[in-house]
Amino acid sequence: MLGFIISRLISMVLTIWAISLVAFAIIQLPPGDYLTTYVATLSASGDRVDPRVIEALREQYGLGQPFIVQYWKWVSGIVTAGDFGQSFEWGRPVTELIWGRLGNSILLEGLAVIVMWFVALPIGVYAAVNKYSLGDYLATIFGFLGLAIPNFLFALVLMYLGYAWFGVVMGGLFSPQFEGAHWSFARVLDFLSNAWAPVLVLATAGTAQLIRVMRANLLDELRKPYVTTARAKGLPEWRVILKYPVRVALNPLVSTIGWLLPTLVSSSVIVSVVMNLPTAGPMLLRSLTTQDMYLAGTLILLLGVLTVIGTLISDLILAWIDPRIRYGGE
Amino acid sequence: MFSRRLSTARMPLRAWAVSGLSLVVLIAAIGPVSAQEEPPMLADRVASGELPPLAERLPSNPLVVEPYESIGTYGGVWRMGMRGGGDNALIAKTVGYEGLVRWDRQWQEVVPNLAASWEVNEDATEYTFTLREGLKWSDGEPYTTRDIEFTAAMFHDPEYPANSFINDQNNPATVEIIDDITFKYVFEKPNGMLMDTLASINGTMAVSIPYHYCSQFHPNYNPGAEQLATDAGFQSWALHMEDKCAWGWETSRWTNPDLPNIYAWKITEPLSGTAARVRWERNPYYWKVDTDGNQLPYIDELDMRVSESLEELTLLALNGQIDFQDRHIATNTNQAVFFDGQDQGDYRLGSVVRSVSSSLVLQLNFNHDDPVKQELFQNRDFRIGLSHAIDREEIIDVVFIGQGEPFQVAPRPESHFYDEEMAKQYTEFDPDLAIEHLEAAGLTEIGADGIRLMSNGEPTRITVDVIAALRPEWIDILELMQLHLADVGIQIEINNIDRTLFYDKRPGNDYDAQVWAGDGGLDVMQEPRYYFPSGAESVWAFKWQAWYTGATPEIAEEPVDWVKEQMALYTQLTQEGDPDVREDLMREVLAIAKENFPVIGVSLMPDGYYIARNNLRNVSDQLIDAWLFPQPGGYDPQQWYFE
Repeated sequence: MLGFIISRLISMVLTIWAISLVAFAIIQLPPGDYLTTYVATLSASGDRVDPRVIEALREQYGLGQPFIVQYWKWVSGIVTAGDFGQSFEWGRPVTELIWGRLGNSILLEGLAVIVMWFVALPIGVYAAVNKYSLGDYLATIFGFLGLAIPNFLFALVLMYLGYAWFGVVMGGLFSPQFEGAHWSFARVLDFLSNAWAPVLVLATAGTAQLIRVMRANLLDELRKPYVTTARAKGLPEWRVILKYPVRVALNPLVSTIGWLLPTLVSSSVIVSVVMNLPTAGPMLLRSLTTQDMYLAGTLILLLGVLTVIGTLISDLILAWIDPRIRYGGE
Repeated sequence: MFSRRLSTARMPLRAWAVSGLSLVVLIAAIGPVSAQEEPPMLADRVASGELPPLAERLPSNPLVVEPYESIGTYGGVWRMGMRGGGDNALIAKTVGYEGLVRWDRQWQEVVPNLAASWEVNEDATEYTFTLREGLKWSDGEPYTTRDIEFTAAMFHDPEYPANSFINDQNNPATVEIIDDITFKYVFEKPNGMLMDTLASINGTMAVSIPYHYCSQFHPNYNPGAEQLATDAGFQSWALHMEDKCAWGWETSRWTNPDLPNIYAWKITEPLSGTAARVRWERNPYYWKVDTDGNQLPYIDELDMRVSESLEELTLLALNGQIDFQDRHIATNTNQAVFFDGQDQGDYRLGSVVRSVSSSLVLQLNFNHDDPVKQELFQNRDFRIGLSHAIDREEIIDVVFIGQGEPFQVAPRPESHFYDEEMAKQYTEFDPDLAIEHLEAAGLTEIGADGIRLMSNGEPTRITVDVIAALRPEWIDILELMQLHLADVGIQIEINNIDRTLFYDKRPGNDYDAQVWAGDGGLDVMQEPRYYFPSGAESVWAFKWQAWYTGATPEIAEEPVDWVKEQMALYTQLTQEGDPDVREDLMREVLAIAKENFPVIGVSLMPDGYYIARNNLRNVSDQLIDAWLFPQPGGYDPQQWYFE
């Protein structure tokens, strides 16, 4: 087990290094740089900038330097001082901007994952055990509906209904008085009172998918002889199902935990924009369109790191719930 | 001797002589303000001695603002919405429009603001300004000519990256201080446009950097400035300075709540990459009063919701949670929804006149690298042919629901430069006439696929670059134009690209045509980009504008004669002090543009609208929206109040 973890950790570091290189290359791919975007934005509002000013800024920001030099500056800053560079747009260190946003993302999307699992797994088990019953059909219908409705559209409909029926505008994660406050019990309550809508929206599509996967996996298992044997030995029905086939059916679900976070972050970008959620998604989108490269690069890098860590966690959980994997290496 | 009479119709005034100045000048000044009550929000702080009483906070000659409808009452929070990144202009237009002088609400005349009076010497090389006496920054420090001089010094500093008329390389300004409230801008060459510049939003550049706070970040004034920058985590003092004391309306100006300002409100919650709101409260030292002598603003606080979500802002407005707004949400598509929601949301709609003339301007690249296309695009008959082939009525009906009229790129009907003939020429939809002109331009042969052949035998295919993200209706217009032009044998390809690429293609001369809106419909003299190649936004003749401005000599190319004539006229205009002569010169530039018809327009930009809560009073019914004349700042939101 220890060797397994160590080899995983080594490959993790290499992967993260590769991600940093790719992330930095990707954000440099579009034509122009932050300053071209900046000039374009100013011009759109009718303003004009002297080319000399832009040249001076380009020099100060180090934008004219070759790729390798810029990359080295960035990476060595991260490794030696935890300095992810400056955001051009905000004139602030990237680290000052992203942690709050990333924290909100992880919190919100973590909640969405928990809700997804808590709702989807029992329904999936129920649907598989009671195949072709009314309940199964209902779960299937709602599952497919949830899967078919785009998240952002669901968010828009929710917002419109909130306005039309209750005169409430849903948006943001906190009420005005808590926006800048430190975490406290009252702020948590306020957060929950605002976060239910985005969590609901983010969880629907995933829930539908999980129900389908769980149902299909479990159906495969239920047919196997060991289930019949367990029944024949007189185990109570709930034990027969939960102790063996459900555990095995969880395997494919657990192995995808690693992708869950990045998928949620990227799929939640539009929802976050529509509902004005202070998460990492809109910041990533904005930094990519303005070519605020250290901010964008850092966000992509951190999402990569999250994926890698998620994969590690899912490997460990898999090893834990499935003895075949646990003992396979020995 | 040449002197200027100031427009003072809207303020009670008495003549006020300035000793030591030989020129005849009439100065708007206000008698001493009678004892006034404190704005209730500040009363406690004054009573406790934290703030000096009103009389000591106001200048001896505060600016008197005439209320639009009536004298207001104090209090309330003005709620509006803004986007997070790249929306610094909203703050500039709402709060930040305070310069030495300003435009009146009709955008016709320059009226006093921070400066109580000014005079110009005969050849327009020396401008002498007198500030109000006893002006103060929002932290209570006196505002003097020292601040004006310091601001100018920053613009002249090559390491402080900002530009304004002060460091214009063709005609830079130097500041001469006469006393605490009197100073001169001195130019090498005549500068006839200075008052227009100062009255526009660009004029806020000249007054925005406080010496007492900002000099600590500059090594010339504080030997420890470099160390200060390093301690704060900046690579150089210049980056630190930009962060703390940004110019004009740069984003970082709104991220530093410690930076003293001269606006009606000061920042309590700054803008930042993570801000959910930007909040402001009244500036106790604001230097404007109403006609009864009450200190402005009436409204105590501003609350700007920072939201990436236009849907959220739209719903907030519908729900009555926005008190005044037009930016971002007042779109064509939302208009019906907002109209229907007026009762429920308890708001009203007002009209906004755009300064833009044509809703879309087709700019063919006169300096195309391909000599065949270059010759064709420079052929006036070709452009007239294209123009006659466009069914503008159809575009107006389909895209603008019938709002607007066929219009070329020309001064708007509201402008005194309006010339109906120029605005309407070649707008008639007439395919036969179009074909006649195209044939006159040499496009007589028609290829197998029905497309006319250019002189090299290639089909006439024009790629049109457009940024649909900026104005979605551009794509709709172009798609109709594509059909219209196909009928006369011209193929256009719509190339929807990102803003950055759009700009990147210009210096490389890598485009057939680009589209933009018709800026310069009201600001004719200040924004002549389509009338002649005046600057980098004159995409139709990018190499010629380079020749004129001298900013990028490596791509410059000598223009044709009629353009050179226009350039000479406009150069003369910028150096002319007499406004009447300037107008005549502009008319000559326009006449040449009319004759040569460089760019093709479509339809007159329809009016926009704003949303104001019914209890928000003193808002003008009609606003003009332009960058140079910012709104609502130009309409004195300081005198808006809640009933």
